[in-house]
Amino acid sequence: MNIDKENSEQKDPPGPENSAVPLSDNSRRPASPVEFRLDTASGVPTYLQLVHQVEHALRLGYLKPGDQLPKVRDVVALLAINPNTVLKAYRELESKGLTKGSPGQGTFIQATLNQIALPELTTLHRSLLRWLATADDAGLDEDGMAALFASAMRDFFERRSATRARGGASDTETEIVA
Amino acid sequence: MNVVETRGLGKRFCDTWALRECTLSIPAEHVVALVGPNGAGKTTLLNLAVGLTAPSAGHLTVLGGETPGSPVALDGVAYVAQDVALYKNFSAVDLLHLTRNLNRQFDTALAESRLVELGVPLKRKVGRLSGGQQAQLALTLALARRPRLLLLDEPMAMLDPVARHDFMATVMTAVADDGVSVVLSSHVLAELERVADYLVLVSNGSVQVAGEVDDLLASHRVLTGPAAEADRAITSHIVHARRGEAQAHLLVRSSADDPVPSGWQAHPVGLEELALAYMRESGNAELSSSGSARENGPTEVATWRR
Amino acid sequence: MATMTIVSRPPENEGMAPLPWRRMAWVTWRQHRAALFGVGAFLGLVSLYLVISGLHLHHVYSAAVACRPAVSLTCNDLVSSFNSSGDFLSSGLVLQVVPVLIGAFVGAPLLAREMETGTFRFAFTQGFGRGRFALAKLVSLAVAVTAAAGVFSVLTSWYYQPYFLAVNERLGLSETTPFAPGLFDLREVTLAAWTLVAFAIGALAGMLIRRVVPAIVATLVAYAGLAIAAGSVFRAHYLAPLVTRKLNVTALDWTLNQRWTTRGGRSVSQSVISQVLQAGDPQLAGKGGVPQSLSVWRYLVGHGYTQWTTYQPTSRFWPFQLIEGSWLLALSVILIAVTVWLVRGRLT
Repeated sequence: MNIDKENSEQKDPPGPENSAVPLSDNSRRPASPVEFRLDTASGVPTYLQLVHQVEHALRLGYLKPGDQLPKVRDVVALLAINPNTVLKAYRELESKGLTKGSPGQGTFIQATLNQIALPELTTLHRSLLRWLATADDAGLDEDGMAALFASAMRDFFERRSATRARGGASDTETEIVA
Repeated sequence: MNVVETRGLGKRFCDTWALRECTLSIPAEHVVALVGPNGAGKTTLLNLAVGLTAPSAGHLTVLGGETPGSPVALDGVAYVAQDVALYKNFSAVDLLHLTRNLNRQFDTALAESRLVELGVPLKRKVGRLSGGQQAQLALTLALARRPRLLLLDEPMAMLDPVARHDFMATVMTAVADDGVSVVLSSHVLAELERVADYLVLVSNGSVQVAGEVDDLLASHRVLTGPAAEADRAITSHIVHARRGEAQAHLLVRSSADDPVPSGWQAHPVGLEELALAYMRESGNAELSSSGSARENGPTEVATWRR
Repeated sequence: MATMTIVSRPPENEGMAPLPWRRMAWVTWRQHRAALFGVGAFLGLVSLYLVISGLHLHHVYSAAVACRPAVSLTCNDLVSSFNSSGDFLSSGLVLQVVPVLIGAFVGAPLLAREMETGTFRFAFTQGFGRGRFALAKLVSLAVAVTAAAGVFSVLTSWYYQPYFLAVNERLGLSETTPFAPGLFDLREVTLAAWTLVAFAIGALAGMLIRRVVPAIVATLVAYAGLAIAAGSVFRAHYLAPLVTRKLNVTALDWTLNQRWTTRGGRSVSQSVISQVLQAGDPQLAGKGGVPQSLSVWRYLVGHGYTQWTTYQPTSRFWPFQLIEGSWLLALSVILIAVTVWLVRGRLT
């Protein structure tokens, strides 16, 4: 996604339940506010990249409920990927409750993700910088830091999904604990 | 419906078998990557599928049981040959006229608008068009026939990266619009990962791998760990091993649910790495996951020792 | 032709009638118009020369025939000028190349070029079907070249006509039999038929050899062999030749064989005849002993020898034309059928 500046809009996150938004008149609907890009070197499956980009845009406010996602055909024409990949990504988004597809009309944003407000983002950014300084003092280089962080992230999400599988946590997005 | 189905298919030229014991069931509405090194038998398979040659052994049908070259097959199958094979002294307009005359269905308006969109000059002789323009023209002619199956034999071999991207975008758009099944042969793997959802890997004239890409990727991974323990610790079927002094990378057949031996790390494997591994090991093993209809069951493994 | 824009797919197998043949009209024309123009230009040039030369020839001939009194010096001069005005065309051998050039240069590249350049991978995978594609082209081009040759043959027949008239003998004008090897196949039926068979040979050679230049060469060679065989072996036997012992064979008939026999029926060689003449009447021998010379003939017959002439009478000209035309047509059909059969077979 093309992100030039941080979104300064403040939005209160809606409650845990997803709120359905009625679709307004199609004829005055503009084209999709976002476009996808593909990172062929990242190793992340294409459909997941699309899902993440939509979630990312939702978090930062580029996509609002009622906005239309790009048509499958347009994504395919732009990125030269298999249409099934796009359909898979859109299905995943729909199963997460974030979008709703209308046959013949397109796929529309139905809910939002909890948006992290700007002050919280700034706080997180600063705490990360502190961690990086500590790691640097310990002698880690850039790749070492990245590897350690990736490993910690993996551990965290594995533990969290294991906890969820045991029915321990509620199905909400939680803020990352610093 | 299986868009291409073969049973024990073989093709011999004089004394050499270009293709042997080839058994495939390629489902419809997929984009099939037909990969393999040069001379593996990809072009032979495509020639058989389109009816330009006949099998020396076994059977092949297309579009759910039609014989290649039959009127129904000719109608529903469009083919773009390896070096595009258009009449060099015809212009695009002439070729549109020609193709319209020679086919039952032909969407002239679509073809013309596509060519204008792509910037292919309509009145210039084909011999004076660039390689990319010729390939796009051949593709446009094929797609305007509204086929059910599109066979592309290394269509991008002579194209620059931009032209390749545009070419694949055109093909994928047609898949999105019409649901056409595509079999695309190439020896360049990297580009196919984005577009293919079914893989057929041919090497030395026989099929090494045939199956849905998702199934294949889900059923393989790379285990990295101490080289010394490689043979003891790993129980999964090893497809390909790369051993250094201390460290070894093993590409194994196992799913993400299988436990990783301690001291080892598991990584998911990409399509290119998977295909390369099988090509290097060709002659030792063969994997075929069932492709007819949509099965959600476990991947069938057929090992074949030569 | 109306543009077909069909968005929905027709139900499977419904209306699978083959595409109409007329679809191939534009295709054949567009792909082979250069060859057809070439044939037209070639025949045009040759025709131009034939018309100019032929008008002169006919003019001289009519002047010689109309001249009175027939034995005067002026008339003899006219006769001589006619007899010497035949140029390189008069034996007809030069024009023999016309059918084979047309056939080779239209027929051989027809399929050979598709195979050589690889465009068959495009043309033969279209919905029309490659057998019907090839057949449509072969038949329509065969008809075109045969018709062109047929029209041209009217001109060639007209050109050589003065040589075939019976009045020539009496006036001393040179004449020749219409069965002459160089002339028989330049006539109405045979010129068209030989062009057709050259085309068919070319098409088959093109499909077998799959390269244009070698196919053209092979066509020339094969045609030459066939033409020589036809002229020297087949043609003489289309109908059982007549045999006569009388002097009723004219220059317009086709003399196949002449020999002398003794009273008892034994063959006598030419050297023996010369000896007999030498012994009996050296004067006659001095005339070269040409058997047809009347005095020699009378002398030998008077001494008990019989001359047997095997010949085809000139009245059989048109039957022979039709016979030759028929077997060439049959052969062409077979060659074209084999070519189509090859097209439908394995191509790679």
